Amino acid sequence: MLNEVLLTFAQWLGAQQWSIGLHESFYMYNWIETTHVLTLTVFLGMLFVIDLRMLGLALTNVPASKIAERLDVPMMIGFTVMIITGFLLFYAIPVRTTQSVWFRLKVILLIVAGINAWIFRNRMKAAKPTWDNDPRPPKNVRIGAGLSLSLWIAIIFAGRAIAYDWFDCGQDHTDFINWAAGCVVDTAG
Amino acid sequence: MDVMSFFTWLEGSALGQMAKSYGGVYAMAQTVHLASMALLGGTVLVTDLRLLNVALTDVPSNVVADGAHKWFKVALTIILISGIFMVAGVAMKAYYNAFYWAKMAALATGIVFVFAVKRPLLKKDHSQIPGWVLKMTAVASLTVWFSVAACGRWIGFS
Repeated sequence: MLNEVLLTFAQWLGAQQWSIGLHESFYMYNWIETTHVLTLTVFLGMLFVIDLRMLGLALTNVPASKIAERLDVPMMIGFTVMIITGFLLFYAIPVRTTQSVWFRLKVILLIVAGINAWIFRNRMKAAKPTWDNDPRPPKNVRIGAGLSLSLWIAIIFAGRAIAYDWFDCGQDHTDFINWAAGCVVDTAG
Repeated sequence: MDVMSFFTWLEGSALGQMAKSYGGVYAMAQTVHLASMALLGGTVLVTDLRLLNVALTDVPSNVVADGAHKWFKVALTIILISGIFMVAGVAMKAYYNAFYWAKMAALATGIVFVFAVKRPLLKKDHSQIPGWVLKMTAVASLTVWFSVAACGRWIGFS
């Protein structure tokens, strides 16, 4: 039922003039994708530096909270542009993307990474006075940072894999893959 | 061996065949390449934004530049290794792609700039260097690394 609703929505979205225009525009689509990847570098670049500090592997002579707080603004600027361009990329190719295993996995991983970031941030704020100047933060902070790094690398992989047709609907896949991709039987051929 | 012969050999090599035959491995190499590109971008941005007095202004720029440079070298090494694997799978396509050569030119410029200009300069006490020199270095650095990333993305479109 949910998959039918999602597909109907994606088909409606894909029929919009702007969606078709974006999909068929060589330069516009490519510039949006380029911007998506470049702002991913800004967002993830900042995040990686923060995570490496929280792991006790980089800039250990600078208080951890200072690194996290000062890099927050450029990181969130990168994140905002990355999310906007990500929505535009989805808007340009909604039907195939909705039925992509990798896109679905990416969305789940993004939610998990968001929850991890929220927990991580609260934990850091609460414990700031006790370990802020330590070169090597406590174990639970290091676990949070390691999880953040792993999740974002998995998100990059899922995003990269969307371009591949390995599990596209309409091919001879197992029931699990068809379920995970949300393939709707009527449109799978 | 001329350049074209090298690219022909590379595509036919075991590395090239592996990159061609295993899509999953190729996608993983792309992931590693992108993640290390993000790390490299992070280290460059942190240093350059500090030199431009935009971020981490309450941390000495020497400290930021030294700390970031260690991870810049790690990221660059991983980028080069994963990049060689990636190009091996599509060597002839890359050979005839203008953006591939633009990226290589920008990358070579970036590496020379970092190790021959930026790093020797930033190793010195920053208080002894005129502010405009530090700012110009940051602008040049951001420009060259932006060019590398943008050309790299455009390879796939042309």
